[in-house]
Amino acid sequence: MQKLIVGVSGINAIDNPGPGIGVARSLKEDPDLAVTIIGLAYDAMDPGLYMDWVVDKSFIMPYPSGSSEAFIERLLYIKKTCGLDHVIPNLDAELPLYIKHSRTLADHGIKTFLPTMEQFRLRGKDQLTAVAEKIGAGLPQTRVVNSLEALVQAVGEIGLPVMVKGCLYKAYRAGTLQEAVGHFHHLVAEWGYPIIVQEVVTGDELNVVGVGDGTGECLGLVGVKKICTTALGKIWTGVTVRNEPMLAAARAFVREFRWRGPFELECIISPDQIYLIEVNPRFPAWVYLATGVGLNLPSRLLRASCGQPVPPDNAYEAGKLFIRYSYELVTDMTNFQQAITRGETR
Amino acid sequence: MATLARLAINEEGFVFDPTTGDSFGVSATGVIILKGIRDGLDDKKIAQRLADEFIVTLDDAGRDVADFRVQLKTLALI
Repeated sequence: MQKLIVGVSGINAIDNPGPGIGVARSLKEDPDLAVTIIGLAYDAMDPGLYMDWVVDKSFIMPYPSGSSEAFIERLLYIKKTCGLDHVIPNLDAELPLYIKHSRTLADHGIKTFLPTMEQFRLRGKDQLTAVAEKIGAGLPQTRVVNSLEALVQAVGEIGLPVMVKGCLYKAYRAGTLQEAVGHFHHLVAEWGYPIIVQEVVTGDELNVVGVGDGTGECLGLVGVKKICTTALGKIWTGVTVRNEPMLAAARAFVREFRWRGPFELECIISPDQIYLIEVNPRFPAWVYLATGVGLNLPSRLLRASCGQPVPPDNAYEAGKLFIRYSYELVTDMTNFQQAITRGETR
Repeated sequence: MATLARLAINEEGFVFDPTTGDSFGVSATGVIILKGIRDGLDDKKIAQRLADEFIVTLDDAGRDVADFRVQLKTLALI
């Protein structure tokens, strides 16, 4: 396979890490791929800018919430200056922009492998009921609210405790109405409306990562149980699981929606029911676990995107441990200076 | 019993459920009882295994098996 230059975002390997480093590392570890990684950062302090054994060169990007023209122009500048064959966006906030402009990017020789906008909307927390029904999963009682009065009513209908969730990010458990109101105000201030109020269901919290090929076929699935999480609920230690009902739901998700690209399903498994809690239309930050157990999903995505054969073997072993750790890197100021002054490194 | 059948049990007493990711630690006595139940033995035969392995009367071993079964039921493993 010819050398590929791949842009990867989400290289903020911090305490709430983006998936980019796991994706980049996976691509580098495929012995049959010759990949140069271009880090697409939003902050000069993103650790990925300094991890030169994973990220070969980095660029500071304009925020996706700003001008889409500026964003696309920046990608075209990168294409012009160092080549850019493919982009794997890994952050929720930038996905609509990449999806919307995927044709433009393709016309300029920059490939993506993403869901359609219609598929992307399925990840909305207000769409989960329809998704859960189609894949044979349950959904905790859920209300989508747009006012404080509606929140109070929803809490009354569902009963305490409840989960109070932002439309894009963050979820908090509330044991009292006062707590729920506090979380509501916090989430509205940070992410806006709507707010989702959800019944708390008990069971094993399991997640599954996968890639769909866009025709209903799955390019690989790996399930995980989070053993230890950070204060933000991010995985710190986990173990691979083979939970057949969850894997079947994930396969149904790919088949029913002809999902194209990476995804993560967050589930709660009780003895007689699987509940769908969230759909993420991108790789999760723990994606390297899949690579570590033999299913290099970022590499499979890239191969599928380039029309290359994808390994047919989807087996992996349950009971493989994932340990995240903190580590320090000491370097000079060059990359930081370049990121600040030029908006790019090396 | 279906749950118990799928557990991975090692000789040092580490028990892992590959479906849920749960793990447990059990004593040497627990390992023998778990394996006995999984092999389809009745409590008497499991108690005999314990009495053969450890310095314990058959009666005491029988009580250990019964107590352990209660714990397994509490954990929904049988």
